[in-house]
Amino acid sequence: MKATLDLYRRLIGVQIRSQLQYRAAFLTDLIGQGMATGIWFLSLALILQRFESIGGWSLGEVAFLYGTVETAFGTMDMIFSGFDPRFFGQQVRRGTFDQLLLRPVSITLQVLGSEFVLRRMGRIVQGVAILAVAVTLTDVRWTPLKLAYLPVVLTSLVCFFGGLFIIGSTITFWTIESIEVVNIFTYGGSELMSYPMHIYQEWMRRFFTYIVPAIFLNYYPALFILDKPDPFGLPPFAPFLAPAAGFGVLAAGLALWRFGIRHYQSTGS
Amino acid sequence: MRLFWELCKLAFRRQLTYRAATLAGLTTNFFFGLLRAALMAALYGTRQEVAGISLAAAVTFTGLTQATIGYLSLFSWYEVMNSVYTGDISSDLLKPMDYFLFWLAQDLGRAIVALLMRGLTMMAAYALIFDVVWPHGAAQWLALAVALALSWLVSFSWRFLINLAAFWTPGAQGVGRFIFGLSWFTSGFLMPLRFFPDWFQHLCNLTPFPAMINTVVEVYLGVLTSPKLIQALLGQALWAVILIGAGQLVLRAGVRRLVIQGG
Amino acid sequence: MSSIVTVTNLEKHFKVYKHHRGFWGALRNLATREYTLVRAVDGISFEIQKGELVGYIGPNGAGKSTTIKMLAGLLVPSGGELWVNGRVPWKKRRRHVARIGAVFGQRTTLWWDLPVIESLDLLQHIYQIPPDRFRQNLAEFRELLELDPFLNTPVRSLSLGQRMRADICAALLHDPALLFLDEPTIGLDVIAKERMRQFIRHINSQRSVTVLLTTHDLSDVEKLCERVMIIDHGRLLFDGELASLRDRFGGQRELVVEFAEPYQDIAVDGAQAAEQDGRWAIYRFERNAVTASELIGRLSARYRIRDLSVREPDIESTVRRIYEERLLES
Repeated sequence: MKATLDLYRRLIGVQIRSQLQYRAAFLTDLIGQGMATGIWFLSLALILQRFESIGGWSLGEVAFLYGTVETAFGTMDMIFSGFDPRFFGQQVRRGTFDQLLLRPVSITLQVLGSEFVLRRMGRIVQGVAILAVAVTLTDVRWTPLKLAYLPVVLTSLVCFFGGLFIIGSTITFWTIESIEVVNIFTYGGSELMSYPMHIYQEWMRRFFTYIVPAIFLNYYPALFILDKPDPFGLPPFAPFLAPAAGFGVLAAGLALWRFGIRHYQSTGS
Repeated sequence: MRLFWELCKLAFRRQLTYRAATLAGLTTNFFFGLLRAALMAALYGTRQEVAGISLAAAVTFTGLTQATIGYLSLFSWYEVMNSVYTGDISSDLLKPMDYFLFWLAQDLGRAIVALLMRGLTMMAAYALIFDVVWPHGAAQWLALAVALALSWLVSFSWRFLINLAAFWTPGAQGVGRFIFGLSWFTSGFLMPLRFFPDWFQHLCNLTPFPAMINTVVEVYLGVLTSPKLIQALLGQALWAVILIGAGQLVLRAGVRRLVIQGG
Repeated sequence: MSSIVTVTNLEKHFKVYKHHRGFWGALRNLATREYTLVRAVDGISFEIQKGELVGYIGPNGAGKSTTIKMLAGLLVPSGGELWVNGRVPWKKRRRHVARIGAVFGQRTTLWWDLPVIESLDLLQHIYQIPPDRFRQNLAEFRELLELDPFLNTPVRSLSLGQRMRADICAALLHDPALLFLDEPTIGLDVIAKERMRQFIRHINSQRSVTVLLTTHDLSDVEKLCERVMIIDHGRLLFDGELASLRDRFGGQRELVVEFAEPYQDIAVDGAQAAEQDGRWAIYRFERNAVTASELIGRLSARYRIRDLSVREPDIESTVRRIYEERLLES
């Protein structure tokens, strides 16, 4: 176990060092990543000056949804970038994936260690800032349970997005055409989750409740933390399904990944 | 001149072969369109009209913006940058053609295919699901055509200009990402600029971005009447001239640098 | 077992799905799934003993890389048995891979953006090489392969020859018992090729590394391997000593003659005058039809000869003959 962590540390150390090589470019990227998040929020704030609310939710409440997604997605994107289907798909096509099979260490570890995008810190910091603004604007009535649950929600979100990335990458063993569809779930999904679920058409909402359990990952926890009523009448434990949903998707992703590797070894491409 | 059209046709044909990517792109566009339409409806609530734009028009807007993504290569365009980094630029510069026109021709071919295959298809798909607003009358369609052509020109000159950063720094992609991201918000892509406070609109108008999207949107939705309409189109033309001119100057400086540095 | 590799009736079949074009074709693709079965490896058996240096040759598409991939543990066979170092390669991937080394001429095993030495350091941790052993091996390879000039250069900036040297060093740092070399001299200039061959000979004789060499460069085989295996269409056509290959199939030999004067007619029984230029002539004769000494006797009986030499067929033309004339098809 220790050797594994040590190797992971070394592998990402390599990534970090090479990224920090070009200081100026790195800083620009870092700020750019953060700016996108910040500017979005400002635009939303300006828009809401005219519209007052999004489906009844105030700026602060929407910001809570947005902040959790940005923080978690940024964190996931930093850590799981090795599994970004776009890059992974290229690796498989070029044949450099074989290299990983020839080394006496876990393949998953190698893929994780192959990319560590430090500049995502920009997005993470902005996400946390927006979350802080949200909490202030909505004047949350904190309880120990809520305080303890928030980091669980964020971790579950990271696992959720990570699992989607892993699934997307595994699919590239079979076909590279699917990457765009996966993007709909990761990038599309994260934008979807930034707004309250009740604004979407019913079929979309059902899909993101029962097939891809996105609704449990930030909407329901938001209902709980912000003390808002549930418009869909799900059982009272619904807000606490976040870890199940998040880790569930991650577990499914890893299972598919293992299957994918076995398939790759059978067919060689 | 002949070379220009040859290059254009080549790029046109090449873009036609990217069928799988086009289909995938359309699916993504459609998804985001649905998302934004839902958001728009949620914002409108019980309102029928905001800033002269009806709900149906606002929903049409969400489809329209998605439809233009491919056409204007909104999210990324790093062709020139890449050719500088790979060194291909040396052979490109030797070609008997103005470098700017060389890329303009290729982008035109690509853009036309994108407009037809992604733009029109997107609007058609939208029409099946939503109550879509179309331009009225020949004059409006003509104005739309002009606006679309000019917006492409502005967008291309802008993308070309940004790519020239590659002559000065190896990190130009980061600069590009930053600026493409910025253009998102100020172009009227997220929301029609009319929805924003006046001071924000004035700020945006200092940039070429509204000339890329917002003008097209407003012409399409018919919220502009002459003389505002003519003003907007002239504005686009002006930006095109400014950006093309800036591009020429920066290109010359960049090529001089390239030659001195030895690539 | 002293045999380090045991292969019995190894098979690998691929399903190549028929790909229909166009829109209706795409629908058909989903519905039917017709395929052809490609037998990339079709029942191969052989054994390699510890310390051997074996050449593995065959035309493109013969099944060479498929075999190597199975031996390396990258690919699961469709049938037959395969043991390397007493293990089934794909079943115990990590343990298997820790004991083998591989160099692929076309791709590098190193990290593209890192200086060579940093890649090697990473590999030390990946293979968990004891520090002393690592230092020792590194020092030896640095000297033998002359790595010092570019040890701190990123791999992406290396020339092909430098990269190959770095790759082979990387493949041997963890003291593998078996080394797969896939096209190790491809693209190298003559001097670099010779150095690489010297190094391979060295590690095989001094470090007892068993080497399996796949290559298109038949002079590699000629200079390095005593034993050679020829594969074509997934089947092993020949497995034996290089010398016997030459004996059995190196049919045509050449006799280069310098006559004392430029004769007009230089015909002789049992050989064919292939080329003639002034006083020089090249005769071709079949190994089985006449011996060199017989031919020389006949020639000197009829003509005055100043000098002559016998040329053996090179392995290149011999193997080409085998492929083209299907001499080994049973």
